[in-house]
Amino acid sequence: MLNEYRQRFINESLQLILLDNDSVVVASDNSIFHVAQGESITELHPFFESVPSLIESETKVFKFLCIHLSLQGDFRIVDISISKEEPHAVLVIHDLTEHYESYQSAAQARNESVIKTELTVIKNNELEERERFKNLFIQNFSHEIRNPLTSIVAIANILSDTSLTDQQRKMLDFLQESNAALKLMLEDILSLGAIESGKLHLQEKPFDLTKLFRLLEFTYKTKTKQKNIELVAVFDERIPDFVEGDRLRLYQILTNLLDNALKYTDSGKISFSLSFNQKWANKVSIRFEVADTGVGIPEESLESIFESFTQLDVGQNKDGSGLGLAIVKGLLELMGSKIKVTSQVGQGSVFYFDLLLKYPLHPVQEALKGSTSPIQGDIKRKAKDKVNLLVVEDDERIQTLILKTLVDAEFFNVDILNDGADVLKELVNNQYNIILMDVDLPNISGDHLTRLIREFPFKNIKNIPIIGLTANAFNEQITSYLASGMNKVLTKPFEKEDLIKAILRVLR
Amino acid sequence: MHRSKKLVVLGHFGVGKTSLIRRFVSDVFSDKYKVTIGVHITKKVVEISAGNSVSLILWDLEGTDDITTIRNSYLLGTHGAVFVFDVTRPSTFQNLNEDLKVVAEKLRSVPIIVVGNKMDLVDANDLITVLGENDIAYDFLSSAKTGSAVEDLFYKMATLLQEDA
Ligand SMILES: Nc1nc2c(ncn2[C@@H]2O[C@H](COP(=O)(O)OP(=O)(O)O)[C@@H](O)[C@H]2O)c(=O)[nH]1
Ligand SMILES: [Mg+2]
Repeated sequence: MLNEYRQRFINESLQLILLDNDSVVVASDNSIFHVAQGESITELHPFFESVPSLIESETKVFKFLCIHLSLQGDFRIVDISISKEEPHAVLVIHDLTEHYESYQSAAQARNESVIKTELTVIKNNELEERERFKNLFIQNFSHEIRNPLTSIVAIANILSDTSLTDQQRKMLDFLQESNAALKLMLEDILSLGAIESGKLHLQEKPFDLTKLFRLLEFTYKTKTKQKNIELVAVFDERIPDFVEGDRLRLYQILTNLLDNALKYTDSGKISFSLSFNQKWANKVSIRFEVADTGVGIPEESLESIFESFTQLDVGQNKDGSGLGLAIVKGLLELMGSKIKVTSQVGQGSVFYFDLLLKYPLHPVQEALKGSTSPIQGDIKRKAKDKVNLLVVEDDERIQTLILKTLVDAEFFNVDILNDGADVLKELVNNQYNIILMDVDLPNISGDHLTRLIREFPFKNIKNIPIIGLTANAFNEQITSYLASGMNKVLTKPFEKEDLIKAILRVLR
Repeated sequence: MHRSKKLVVLGHFGVGKTSLIRRFVSDVFSDKYKVTIGVHITKKVVEISAGNSVSLILWDLEGTDDITTIRNSYLLGTHGAVFVFDVTRPSTFQNLNEDLKVVAEKLRSVPIIVVGNKMDLVDANDLITVLGENDIAYDFLSSAKTGSAVEDLFYKMATLLQEDA
């Protein structure tokens, strides 16, 4: 019985061929392929062309696995062994076609997926590279545009103070509106670029959070009123007044969120709240939240709304650059936080984030208090009229110090700007005698701004004395600030006397 | 004079070994990828000069990303080797110099030709820069798809083998 089956099942898949020393077929059972007696095996298939040299070699047994043989219209995948049994060689062909075919499909799947993964990675890298290049280009381009635009804005402002016909006035209004829109867009692109390239460095300075909150509350009360919606603003009393951080960037985050809420809400209300989470030794965790009753965001878009202008759907963002939320996301990442959003279409959206901020253990106001030394009569003698002084400085401690030093003296009108971007406009609209300018301003550096002022086409503006304020005490840096056109540079922290002396020196 | 010479075609999987051989032997090409397992053996007679030809027995081996795992029996009696890499996939040529060392050890003193395949997919100038940066020396840059350099590389091998004999 068994022998019969062996005959059927095993013999069918095994072929034995007997060769002489010249590789000529002596006998074959022909169970797979037909091999004629007296023929050289090398004629059968190119595989066998190596048989003569194998027979000649020292080795007794050879085994070849997984050989594809296609002959006599038949295709098989086989293992072949060759054993030398003097004066013959025995060749055994084992048909394993089925076995190897299943192995083939496994290998097929594996290799294809390995190759596909590799090519995908390469492609993604290329795309990223191209994206980086594009962003860099947009960045540089925007930067170049900013200077001429600054001049256009300033000149347009001057023009608007001259007498114009109604038609000219209308055209100028339109021009100024377009300027403003373009400027906002450029600022957004530049901010985002700075954030994404890691060039933006956050400031760590104490500032009055309640003041910031009240400013926003005031601004957006007006704006919501215009749209006939309500603004509910809540400031948790347990939050300290003063915290340390980047006031300007926080302001930017909150205005972007509030602008966004305003843009997509036509009825109902916008809630803006700061609530207290927790307090440690000298750190406080605060929840900032902007909620609206606007159109809401479909679930599938909840991620993409924070993507930058590379994915921008231009058609949908007629007002603004559409970069606001991307900026929010980027800035918060720099601050070690994350913007979160929940939303329901037709109901509204809630944007929120938590910030962990240091707060000064001793109230800042106290620290800044000190004896106000009487201001020398020198100033009075030098300045016949009151001196109009513009302070461009975002550090509130320095602002306070300057105010304390100068305002009491009553010789000075002091205006303060936090942001360098508004300086040229202010210079055009007001008559200043001296500018005190922080060098390390956000957005635009003080020395850069000085250069712009020095290149201004109007004498009364380009010649205003500028005193630089900097924390950089290195000589080469101070020299480079002076080279930009500053008349004098004060290193922070400075004494009141230093400030007064500097002012006296530059006053003519 | 006529001899037959065994040539093995080696390299990572998917680099185009099978395609190069099919282009050379049958002058056809397919975009479909069928993974080779084990070995396919074909033959082509190359006429080097009048009355002087070599039978190339071409062993198309299963590709692997680890060259040390090649079955030694496949390499028995080899006269020459073609090592193929894929110019679109750095993983197939990043370790080329080490791979070649392994091959040279296994095959001892047989001529080896190094071929970068799928040239039709890349910019030649960019590629040459990349290969230079990676310190990669190649003999041919080919395309099984267009047929570019395919005849040349096998012909060159045939000539080397004939000189060898
Ligand atoms: N564009 C292009 N594709 C090729 C070329 N050579 C091979 N291919 C493709 O690459 C894949 C793998 O080729 P194959 O010859 O099976 O590679 P092997 O694993 O090294 O034998 C197949 O899809 C081929 O169509 C070439 O020169 N150009
Ligand atoms: Mg193959």
